[in-house]
Amino acid sequence: MTAPPTAFGQLTGLLASAVVATAFLIVWRQSVPGRLALFAVQSALLAALAGATAAFTGKHELLVVALAVLAVKVWAIPRILRRVAPAVPRSPTAARSRVGPLLAAGILVFVAYAVMFPLTGGTPSPTAAGLPLALATGLIGLLVCATARLAFTQVLGFLVFENGVFMLALLATYGLPALVEAGVFLDVLVAVLVAKVVLGEIRESIQSTDIDRLRELRG
Amino acid sequence: MILLALLACPLLGALALVAARPGRPATVIHLLVAIGTALAALALAVAVALAGVVGVPAWSLRADPLSAFLVVLVAGVQLVAALGAPAYLAAEAAAARIAPERAARFGPLFHLFVWTMLLAVTTDNVGLMWIAVEGTTLASVFLITLERTRASLEAAYKYLLICSVGIAVAFMGTVLVYYANIQQLGESAETLDWSLLVTVAPRLPSGVVALAFVFLLIGYGTKIGLAPMHTWLPDAHSEAPAPVSALMSGVLLAVGLYALLRFKVVVDLAAGPAFARRLLVALGLLSMAVAATSLWAPQNYKRMLAYSSVEHMGLVCLGVAFGGWAGVAGALLHLLNHALAKSALFVLAGRVLQRYGSAEVDRVRGLRQAMPWTGAAFLAATLALLGVPPFGLFVSEVLILRAGFAGGYAWAAALALAALVAVFGGMLRAVNRMLHGACPDEIVAGENGRWPLAPVAVNLLVLLGLGLLFPPALVAVLGTVAGVVGGGG
Repeated sequence: MTAPPTAFGQLTGLLASAVVATAFLIVWRQSVPGRLALFAVQSALLAALAGATAAFTGKHELLVVALAVLAVKVWAIPRILRRVAPAVPRSPTAARSRVGPLLAAGILVFVAYAVMFPLTGGTPSPTAAGLPLALATGLIGLLVCATARLAFTQVLGFLVFENGVFMLALLATYGLPALVEAGVFLDVLVAVLVAKVVLGEIRESIQSTDIDRLRELRG
Repeated sequence: MILLALLACPLLGALALVAARPGRPATVIHLLVAIGTALAALALAVAVALAGVVGVPAWSLRADPLSAFLVVLVAGVQLVAALGAPAYLAAEAAAARIAPERAARFGPLFHLFVWTMLLAVTTDNVGLMWIAVEGTTLASVFLITLERTRASLEAAYKYLLICSVGIAVAFMGTVLVYYANIQQLGESAETLDWSLLVTVAPRLPSGVVALAFVFLLIGYGTKIGLAPMHTWLPDAHSEAPAPVSALMSGVLLAVGLYALLRFKVVVDLAAGPAFARRLLVALGLLSMAVAATSLWAPQNYKRMLAYSSVEHMGLVCLGVAFGGWAGVAGALLHLLNHALAKSALFVLAGRVLQRYGSAEVDRVRGLRQAMPWTGAAFLAATLALLGVPPFGLFVSEVLILRAGFAGGYAWAAALALAALVAVFGGMLRAVNRMLHGACPDEIVAGENGRWPLAPVAVNLLVLLGLGLLFPPALVAVLGTVAGVVGGGG
């Protein structure tokens, strides 16, 4: 079933586990700057993953991808999102218990292993073990997005989800064709910029991006 | 060559409009670009009809009959929307609902939006197709917020977030298909070209491709507006300016469906047709049911039109699932009919909204007296949309339902029919309430210029032609297009 452990497989497995761990920490942390820092750490881990894959597979174009991750997700996006984040921290009374979300995140890891079974069974790829962890990262991002009370957290959840998708592409196929990869980075960056502008205008009009107040539209 | 011209026209047009002086020069460029795009689309359709497939391999561009069909659809609806736009924007500016600097954004974003849709249906690379579909979302967000009302800002944010997440799920599916491809054929098969995927599809591992299709269905299903991922749609479609709603409801949903159809061909070959069929029947019926409950007593006529899109997309999915010539060709014909009827209705709804200042059904009374031509066209287009003969939607609905009854899905077809009947009652009641009654005193009677109604009249005439004649040439074209999706013969 499983390939014999190689240095490459062990390193990617370690990095993939660290990425999931940061996803859990994002669920656990309450503070906006803390979550943003964790997102930057998670993205840096992904850059390392891309770099490691480049080193072991000889696909040197992945080094460019790693640099792009550093530029877009570690540097640019946290800077943009800091503007979207609410200036005033939430009052301590608003703190919620994190047990429920953490438990849900734990369940999502099992779900990810169950869903990805057709991929992990009987494949010779050294990175196959990391595939469920990529999906788990994505699902935890969706969880953050779906349970968010701030628009900032929704966007952050989307970005964690996107990190999961990126990780899946990296581990499953060692990166996509360069043109597609470049387009995906551009899309994510533009999406965050567009979200920033729209949220800025919403804030101007209602002085808040607490999504409890974004309830004018009914379903 | 013609493909490059088709894509260059809206893209260069958008750039030119960024630089153009607002006012008359910008309007002239806007109209010329729209007409040029439509002509290039027709030329492409002719080229594809003659040659079968037109491609520019160096740019990963490829147009087969299915692409050409969608190109004509997009180009036609954008022409209708573009022709009505200057009058609409002038009226909005006169009422001080759109600030001039925001109105100047309309032209560039409109043509950029059209460009992303055209790129999505003409690229052979499913990765680029994904980028283009995500691009449609990004290009249209600022079109929704043109009026900068709180509701439109919230709708745009919801649209951006839900569609971005949805489309990222589709990306996961695309990656899995790529993975299956590499696993099976080795590194030499490093391609995301659909035309190559189809040739290797029968050898791909069925489990992985089936899993990928689930992701793709959720992802592109979000863009199509299938329940339960449709929640962004009523907000975005009703808050957007009328010409944009016409594009979004008329063809953006169809572009999402196109992306799904491409992958359905692959999964049918890899995992057998039963797999995708079951999922499509389930989501199609759910969408129709959700729409039917929302359309039982519509409060807001723009939301009514938006929910009706959910309903029709559900029906199209059923047609694709039922399969065979009648199912697939019926579904494609239904896309065309729906685009014609819905774009006309959104343009008309924009006129009503400008006159009455409210999108609530209860606030619109005596439309027949206030705007006789708009009112009559609104009724005719609604009847067409509801599938009343002799309009085209009647034919496509009969085709789809017949495919269901004949193909062992009688129960699904019966449920779909029930939903259609329920929607019929609800929507007709709402439109009747708008048409009749005493027109409020503060509403000025008389049409606000008749020539913007011309494209609407053309749409209605084409719908009549499609319903009455169902020309043999069209049957042949639909057969060819359906053949791409495996519905030929």
